[in-house]
Amino acid sequence: MTAATASTTRRPPFWRNVRVLRVVVQAVFVAAVAGLVLFLLDNVVYNLERRGIPTGFDYLRQPAGFAIPDSDFRSTQSLGDALLVGVQNTIKVALLGIVLATVLGVLIGVARLSTNWLVRKAAAVYVETFRNIPVLVIILFWYLGVMIRLPPIREAVEALDLVAVSNRGIVIPWFDQVGAGAAFGVVALVAVAAAAGVWAWRTRRFDRTGEPHRRGLWAGAVLLAVLATGFVATGRPWTLDTPEVGELSTSGGFRLAPEYAALLVALSLYTASHIAEIVRGSILAVARGQSEAANALGLSGFQRMRFVVLPQAFRISVPPISNQYLNLVKNSSLGVAISYYEVTKVTQVSIAQSAPAVQAIALLMLIYLAFSLTIAAVTNVVNRRLTLKGRA
Amino acid sequence: MSAPPPSRRLSAREWARANLFGSRLDTVLTVLFTLFLVWVVYRLGRFVFVDARWEIVERNITNLLVGGFPRDQLFRLWGALFVLAASLGFGAGAFGAQRRREVAEGRAEELPRGGVRRLVPLFLLVAVLLWFSGSVEPALLVLGAFGVGYAFNLLGQRTPQRLERFVPLAVLAGVLAAFLVVAAFDGVGWSLWGGFLLTVFLAVAAILLSFPFGVLLALGRRSSLPAVRWVCVAYIELFRGVPLIAILFMAFFMIGFFLPEGVDAPSLVTRAIIGFTLFTAAYVAEIVRGGLQSVPAGQVEAAQALGLSPFRTTTRIVLPQALRAVIPGLVGQFISLYKDTSLVFIIGLTELLAVAQNVTKQPDFLAQGLYVETLVFASFVYWTGSYWMSRESQRLERRLGLGER
Amino acid sequence: MSVTENGKPMILLEGVSKWFGDFQALNGVDLSIGLQEVVVVCGPSGSGKSTMIRCVNRLEKHDAGRIVVDGIELSDDIRNIQEIRREVGMVFQQFNLFPHLSVLENVTLAPRNVRRRPRAEAEERAMALLERVQIPEQAHKYPLQLSGGQQQRAAIARALAMEPKIMLFDEPTSALDPEMIKEVLDVMTELAGSGMTMVVVTHEMGFARAVADRMVFMADGEIVEEGPPEHFFTDPREERTKQFLAQIL
Repeated sequence: MTAATASTTRRPPFWRNVRVLRVVVQAVFVAAVAGLVLFLLDNVVYNLERRGIPTGFDYLRQPAGFAIPDSDFRSTQSLGDALLVGVQNTIKVALLGIVLATVLGVLIGVARLSTNWLVRKAAAVYVETFRNIPVLVIILFWYLGVMIRLPPIREAVEALDLVAVSNRGIVIPWFDQVGAGAAFGVVALVAVAAAAGVWAWRTRRFDRTGEPHRRGLWAGAVLLAVLATGFVATGRPWTLDTPEVGELSTSGGFRLAPEYAALLVALSLYTASHIAEIVRGSILAVARGQSEAANALGLSGFQRMRFVVLPQAFRISVPPISNQYLNLVKNSSLGVAISYYEVTKVTQVSIAQSAPAVQAIALLMLIYLAFSLTIAAVTNVVNRRLTLKGRA
Repeated sequence: MSAPPPSRRLSAREWARANLFGSRLDTVLTVLFTLFLVWVVYRLGRFVFVDARWEIVERNITNLLVGGFPRDQLFRLWGALFVLAASLGFGAGAFGAQRRREVAEGRAEELPRGGVRRLVPLFLLVAVLLWFSGSVEPALLVLGAFGVGYAFNLLGQRTPQRLERFVPLAVLAGVLAAFLVVAAFDGVGWSLWGGFLLTVFLAVAAILLSFPFGVLLALGRRSSLPAVRWVCVAYIELFRGVPLIAILFMAFFMIGFFLPEGVDAPSLVTRAIIGFTLFTAAYVAEIVRGGLQSVPAGQVEAAQALGLSPFRTTTRIVLPQALRAVIPGLVGQFISLYKDTSLVFIIGLTELLAVAQNVTKQPDFLAQGLYVETLVFASFVYWTGSYWMSRESQRLERRLGLGER
Repeated sequence: MSVTENGKPMILLEGVSKWFGDFQALNGVDLSIGLQEVVVVCGPSGSGKSTMIRCVNRLEKHDAGRIVVDGIELSDDIRNIQEIRREVGMVFQQFNLFPHLSVLENVTLAPRNVRRRPRAEAEERAMALLERVQIPEQAHKYPLQLSGGQQQRAAIARALAMEPKIMLFDEPTSALDPEMIKEVLDVMTELAGSGMTMVVVTHEMGFARAVADRMVFMADGEIVEEGPPEHFFTDPREERTKQFLAQIL
């Protein structure tokens, strides 16, 4: 008895002591990894110096030596500024792409569950087509096969004098401020407030009487009515600026460059096919019992989706869909293949000009990491708010 | 007493009513979609059969398939194809026989058999390639390869039971032999490969090389040692947070700088393989981690209770179960890789997509806007392979799902 | 006893058959259940008990025969189906509470959106029902924060909130830990005492003996034997019933 107690309290020799072993193993591992990293870094510094390439990030202050199409960027501005324009262009294509891909993806995902055979099959064909072709091929197809094959500017196709389509891009009408913008801003605030009030009133009425609230319809109507009245009352401060086709270029309106349009469309179509599968899977993943319970309570088909299935499907689909958003941001780097000046293209051109490759690529990776971490952080916040209470 | 089930065979009319014209909205959708689909099919059909100038693909079919591979060495590729057909046919035969026996003994559940229909996308691909080749010899050679494959399939089915565990090794040896037929004995090194050959090679090489690396990363991420865990997490998150093209840039522009003085920078293809491997390992690690998590904690506890060492517990108990569960995920990753190989076109390697782009700049076709023809051809090649593999992966997933019950 | 005031049964099944593929789950089932009657259905697994009561509110579509609930014949008409579902409450083996809604929201969802009750009234009634199933303090919690027994009682309150004339119970205690079964059965006993028409699929023979007006024994998709519990438990006629009771008691 005493012997047993003694043997458990006596410390084992250090080469058999689990605690010591853990520390030793980790120390060896960290030393090995650090050694490898240091070896590589040492080589990099040595090689850079040997070839007389600067090692810091001072190169960002050098003049770029190239201009960026469709922007105010001049070749005399610095490489750092060029990179900022690239980041802006990445964000421009990614944000709109995310919106378009989500709308299209949700529609197609729901269509895949349609009771209509033709709709279901068409959606399936869409998904199977776009999921199984490299996104780069789709981007090239939209650029080489569609955008630059559009008629030259002299023969630009115009629809109702509103849209002008040519191989120099797609021009859509845009708003042009001609009058008192501030006054209209006030009107817009009033409109939003009025709509919110009506929304609250319809909700309260529904709570009081139980009659259908149709608050979306009511609030929307009020918003439009106030905006329209205010628009006229403040003397029509905005006009629609429609494109004018000239000899060599278009003026007026808002021009989507062919590179931008091709990248945007291709990324949206490709990502939509993935989102569609997630949406479909999420709806199917809501347990069957939930639909049965909703049916047994006498909820209508619409109410079943609105109150029971979709809220739960949404919760399931948030992590994989945000992953697709991340993929879309990363895939926007393929704009480099069609010379859309997002951050990767700017980096590539910078390296071709004068920027040191090692630092430029390291910076590029850091920028994408920042994008990734931002999206991951937003996802985490949303996810935490959606987590079912009571689930461990 | 028991009545037969009422006929569930719907007449064409009933079917259409239920599936196309169920409600007013359904009818409207059906009409709209019919018009839209007719338009799409018409445009596509007209392009493929009337408008397209396929001669650019016909004249460049060898370029598209093998790129700059020396033409006087092409016989090596045919030889490799025969070796591959033999080893894969053998493996399929042995594996099929094994499964049939398991089913017969009640150790595995039978699946509805897809049979030849499962191979339709591949047959379609081969048929189109042969059609574009425009001569008879390739067709005869492909037929010969099928014949060899079938013969070895029959042979595989007769594998004695005690040799069955060597079948995967035999198949792997066959694949290696095919590689050697091309590259060894004064053959053609991979830096000269191109076209579809390079596409497939890059994907296969990267998945094979990244697998062991990915498994180690996954185990490291689940390690109880914080330092090991952090390093692995940092690697995985870094490479998953960055687009592939940035990593390929790194592999192309930076690898030379990482090497000590006196070591020559590897060839472009090798650099691409390094880039793909580093990138894919991070994704493989996450897939394997999912598999590791799917192994119940009770398995580890049971192994520990039996006195197995941590190393044995991992290699004998956890990994075999985890890796079985991740096969569909790995196939999915391979499909992504297969499609992602197209990115090396941006950095100047001549895989399928690059060839498809370059041939439009040949003197005979210059400035005629034949991008669409070559892009559609490349899309078709990517699509058939990717679609076929994703179908097989779903099948596999269903089978593993059945096995779990 | 087995008819309503105007002479019609609350639930009437005539020759109801149901197939799942080639498997026949129900084979010509005839059953008539009257107002305020409590019927307990038992039988081995796969005998068609659950399928039968799921046909009553059209969670499963029967392939042959007639089903009439409270004078409404179940047909393909969506309006008919909704009308019946409003009259029939159902309690599931797996509770099927909506995990993203609080208990109170679970209970008021259908009354507010189907019955168009004002919110205050719906909530007041919901609290009264939660009181009745003895979990008023759980009203603002979410289903997954509750124990199994509490969840099932919340599910009963949810079904009762639609003021149904009939309650169907599909193995309501099968997914519960033993110590929680009693609290659910107590609620059901109280409900039966209040005059609710009930059809209960269960293996709880103690409950059946105490509460049931009539026992129904099913096997292989058919009703093998039915009768008052006194006779059913002490002196079953059919050999299969005897076998079943011997196994279960």
